[in-house]
Amino acid sequence: MSKPIIVYGHDTGPNPWKVAIVLEELNIPYDYKIVDMADMKKPPFEAINPNGRVPAITDPNTGITLWESGAIIEYLIDTYDKESVLTFSHFPEKYHVKQWLFFQVSGQGPYFGQAVWFQKFHEPVVPSAQERYTDHLKRVLGVLDKYLDGKEYLVGNKCTIADLSFVTWDMMVPWILEGDTDASQLEKHYPNWAAWHQRLMQRPAVLKIAQDKQNAV
Amino acid sequence: MANRPDIHLYTTQTPNGIKISITLEELGLPYKVTKIDISKNTQKEPWFLEINPNGRIPALTDTFSDGKTIRLFESGSIQQYLVDQYDKDYKISYPKGTREYYETNNWLFFLNAGVGPMQGQANHFSRYAPERIEYGVNRYVNETRRLYGVLNTHLEKSTSGYLVGDKCTIADIAHWGWVTAAFWAGVDIEEFPALKAWDDRMLARPGVEKGRHVPDPHRMKELSKDPAAIKEHAEKSRAWVQQGMAADAKK
Ligand SMILES: N[C@@H](CCC(=O)N[C@@H](CS)C(=O)NCC(=O)O)C(=O)O
Ligand SMILES: N[C@@H](CCC(=O)N[C@@H](CS)C(=O)NCC(=O)O)C(=O)O
Repeated sequence: MSKPIIVYGHDTGPNPWKVAIVLEELNIPYDYKIVDMADMKKPPFEAINPNGRVPAITDPNTGITLWESGAIIEYLIDTYDKESVLTFSHFPEKYHVKQWLFFQVSGQGPYFGQAVWFQKFHEPVVPSAQERYTDHLKRVLGVLDKYLDGKEYLVGNKCTIADLSFVTWDMMVPWILEGDTDASQLEKHYPNWAAWHQRLMQRPAVLKIAQDKQNAV
Repeated sequence: MANRPDIHLYTTQTPNGIKISITLEELGLPYKVTKIDISKNTQKEPWFLEINPNGRIPALTDTFSDGKTIRLFESGSIQQYLVDQYDKDYKISYPKGTREYYETNNWLFFLNAGVGPMQGQANHFSRYAPERIEYGVNRYVNETRRLYGVLNTHLEKSTSGYLVGDKCTIADIAHWGWVTAAFWAGVDIEEFPALKAWDDRMLARPGVEKGRHVPDPHRMKELSKDPAAIKEHAEKSRAWVQQGMAADAKK
């Protein structure tokens, strides 16, 4: 591999940064291109992602264009993680990594995203919708917390894409729940989740991306 | 040698449940079924949480070649597992590493992270929410329509009539239960002619026909024409959704 992968991303949205973390972890060269919200649903970008969303990637080394963060991450792992640093090549861990990745993209991301909207942006405030999505968010933290009891990582005692996929949304939890649940309560209610999140936050790749994200805003 | 497949599917008559029974039928695999009664919150009982800590259907167990059991949840990962293990002739998947393999995965994630959650929210605000919130209904019905538009445009360009390459794949199967229930979310499929034709094409497949009736008869097609039945179905579903939400919030 020689040419950098092009990542189409955004400054605040967590999903493209999730892809960047995996690229950093694997030391794959990439170019992070910030796409303006207004340009996402217009022709030049729509040819890359007909769904008009980021992330999307083009990999000049293989010629592929791909979108949906989960599909991109699986592609990166298949193509560039030959030693299975961020995954497992054997049964059953190989499938459990995919299982938690799907839980992140379908169970965490969409609901945390709705919580952000109703907590932070929508006017006038709709209390029942706020409650629906903050409850969903807490339910997800509860599932992770319970599962992580006595474990360092989700699958097989090693940090994998399953863990890393959660981190960019989890970083936003204190902000999303501002005024509802404060940070110290989070640690009290979800101690295993909080310790795991801190463990992930200490990784150099995650720290770097958290910094890049802050700089981009 | 372990006896395989030894597949056990835990499911309910819902869009996410029938993805798996249809996948199994398309592959011609034998499987046992346990019906999970979501109206009784069976999916939150400890024995089931051992299989799926997220307390949702579908879930699946199988015996692997080493004789050990695997437990899986998340419909998308279950579909990936089934084709990875059993679709050696690539009936509904493509060989790993091919362009079509990654494109299938792309549309599979599109459904699991996009269409499913958003259409699910449209169902919630149009059918199950305790109060009518017009904004909530519009937000999610419109997002579902936007996603259907993406599918429709893509299918207009497809020469096979399926999402990826020259055949029906797990990506098509994942979408079908949701798309065929569009009316339930307040989306009019007539707005999306290529998608509507695809819906009929899928329904004509014997594997879809067989798999959609697991564990109970699939009634979406009949339901869409019967307002009294719609009302009854909505009331029943509303009851379990609200009960489930209350149980989740207590934790
Ligand atoms: N992303 C999950 C979604 C599963 C899901 O939404 N299951 C619903 C039935 S379709 C469920 O079990 N709901 C029970 C509950 O919410 O308590 C998947 O694809 O497996
Ligand atoms: N606890 C769920 C109950 C309803 C439910 O499980 N709905 C399923 C469909 S049967 C859903 O929307 N799943 C979203 C997905 O599949 O992504 C809720 O409050 O939304």
